[in-house]
Amino acid sequence: MFDKHLFVCYNAFMISEEKLKILTESAKYDVSCSSSGSSRKNAGGMGNGFAAGCCHSFTPDGRCVSLLKILMSNDCIFCCKYCVNRAGEDVPRATATPDEICELVIDFYKRNYIEGLFLSSAVFRTPDHTMEQLLLTVKKLRTEYGFYGYIHLKGIPYADGALAREAAKYVDRMSYNIELPSERSLRLLAPQKSKESVLVPMKKLTYEKRVFTEEKRKGHFLPAGQTTQMIVGASREPDGQILKLSQSLYRVTGLKRVYYSSYVPVVHDALLPETAAGSLREHRLYQADWLMRFYGFTADEIAGDDENLPVEYDPKCAWALRHPEIFPVEVNRAPLEMILRVPGIGARSAYKITTARRYASLSFDDLRKMRVVLKRARHFITCKGKFYGEQNEERVKLLLAGTEARENAEQLSLFSSNETALSALTGEL
Amino acid sequence: MIYLYDGTKEGFLCAFLTAFSDPQAQIASDGFQLPLGAKAVNIATDPEKAEKAKKRLLSFDRRSMHDLSRILRSGDGDKDETAFRYFRFLAEQKRPVSGMLSEEAVRRADECIRRVGVETHRTKGFLRFFETESGALYAAFSPDNDIADLLVPHFRARLPFYPFVIHDVKRKKAAVWDTEHSFLAPLDRAEVLISADEYAWQDLWRQYYESVNIPSRERLKQMRGYLPVRYMKFMPEFSKRKK
Repeated sequence: MFDKHLFVCYNAFMISEEKLKILTESAKYDVSCSSSGSSRKNAGGMGNGFAAGCCHSFTPDGRCVSLLKILMSNDCIFCCKYCVNRAGEDVPRATATPDEICELVIDFYKRNYIEGLFLSSAVFRTPDHTMEQLLLTVKKLRTEYGFYGYIHLKGIPYADGALAREAAKYVDRMSYNIELPSERSLRLLAPQKSKESVLVPMKKLTYEKRVFTEEKRKGHFLPAGQTTQMIVGASREPDGQILKLSQSLYRVTGLKRVYYSSYVPVVHDALLPETAAGSLREHRLYQADWLMRFYGFTADEIAGDDENLPVEYDPKCAWALRHPEIFPVEVNRAPLEMILRVPGIGARSAYKITTARRYASLSFDDLRKMRVVLKRARHFITCKGKFYGEQNEERVKLLLAGTEARENAEQLSLFSSNETALSALTGEL
Repeated sequence: MIYLYDGTKEGFLCAFLTAFSDPQAQIASDGFQLPLGAKAVNIATDPEKAEKAKKRLLSFDRRSMHDLSRILRSGDGDKDETAFRYFRFLAEQKRPVSGMLSEEAVRRADECIRRVGVETHRTKGFLRFFETESGALYAAFSPDNDIADLLVPHFRARLPFYPFVIHDVKRKKAAVWDTEHSFLAPLDRAEVLISADEYAWQDLWRQYYESVNIPSRERLKQMRGYLPVRYMKFMPEFSKRKK
């Protein structure tokens, strides 16, 4: 049973600042930071799951801090070309003890700094040893420290499946990182990893979870499911291929999220590009990902296999421009699925529209007052039969490119985009 | 005519009942700056009358009391007016109106309720506890809306064995959980004795905050959109090291 005295803080295992720095600095490239999807109850200890997720802070790079992202160790035996902690690299190395991590989590959580733990690790000694240490830590945190908050655990490729299965009973979410979107790139840049080493354990866990729910077993088994991450721009795969892969991961493997991390050159190697992939490409991929998960799009509709996503428009805009025969749609009659496909109208606005139109037919002005963003949408809708957008298709394209690209102006070079072309036309340049 | 009430939910319901049939009515709570030459009348709070109004409004919309409580928590100067117009519209329509967003009164109420909800959600993340010598937790904040007690169930569920105080320094009141009961209490200034390790943990947190940032991808505008500057005052990661 839960021991209240444990909560009197002795700080016997307070981690040193130096160690914390080493172990968290290399964990930050793992982009996953969501704490949603689990509603684990507090059964006499500290913490619970918050199904909606909760952001506790934001760093100057605009990302949220929700979980304590930390490596158990950065002392790696693998030699992945893109990684700062690869074997043989001259960087400071550190390994934390399970107690140091547990105490850090408890004390951070208590002060409401974090929503839970994201525990990952370099492969130290052997994959099995690493996984054992991770399992030991999460088990300890749940049982000895009485922690019921969110835990995301990274799976170690090549570790024994039984260890992952055991860990799944204690954590809320697990993830195996695919890292590179094709087998070929993986062979080139992460020679010790293979597609199977990542996909097989993922599929096993999905299967186990299904059995667990079907048999209505007691306890928990990955209530928040599994996720994965891919580095974009370190290898040559086009966006279309990446999205295809994501789609199959969602549909076949049953993942909850796929994260994309645009490549940042932190190490130099002849096989790696010297320039960063740029956050715009990452942004477009996330937009496309959202379209697949919440807007009913398929990967084929968004981009062909060997195509990249357009730079000037968001993927929904690009799709709408390719299908002029469908638009404009009447906001007062179109089904929800169609309203969701109008560029610039998000899930919330679509829902607002379908609710409000039950009582009265909506005019353009009503939409504006309801704070539906119409900058892009006005070219694709009619309100009570009236069209408020631009008739000329070329002009629409210029306007659409203008609204989006302005925010990302530094990403594009002079005269490379429609936006600069437009400003040249209007004399703003 | 301006109908003044005492700021409570019951007070509002009484004022609402009296003002309902007056087409020029305005409702305001105590402390409202009356315009020159305005006629005002104080409405006494009568629990029976309030109950009557409550029952009637609930019969039109089951969520109406929830909505009212949210609107009255708002920090907007015209929250009483927003609530009055919304409930008058509800009473005229005699059915749930919350989806009729093409109506001005509904839209205003909807936005008001949403702002209170958004701040409550944000604060669940941004609130920072200090550990005191006795092991109890203390958090100060200065929210736009009156939400201190809305936060208690959230933190009570996750920290049931820790007594805590959530101090709204702007409204000079505190929501308290003593591991058995929760209550609201007036609190002007709090003398907090910090535990021995508190600053060490804060330093670790600052170190963590610094190391998860990727400096080559700075996007301050985006960051401030998610985390408005006014919340930073109470968060250790944005203040200098003590010692």
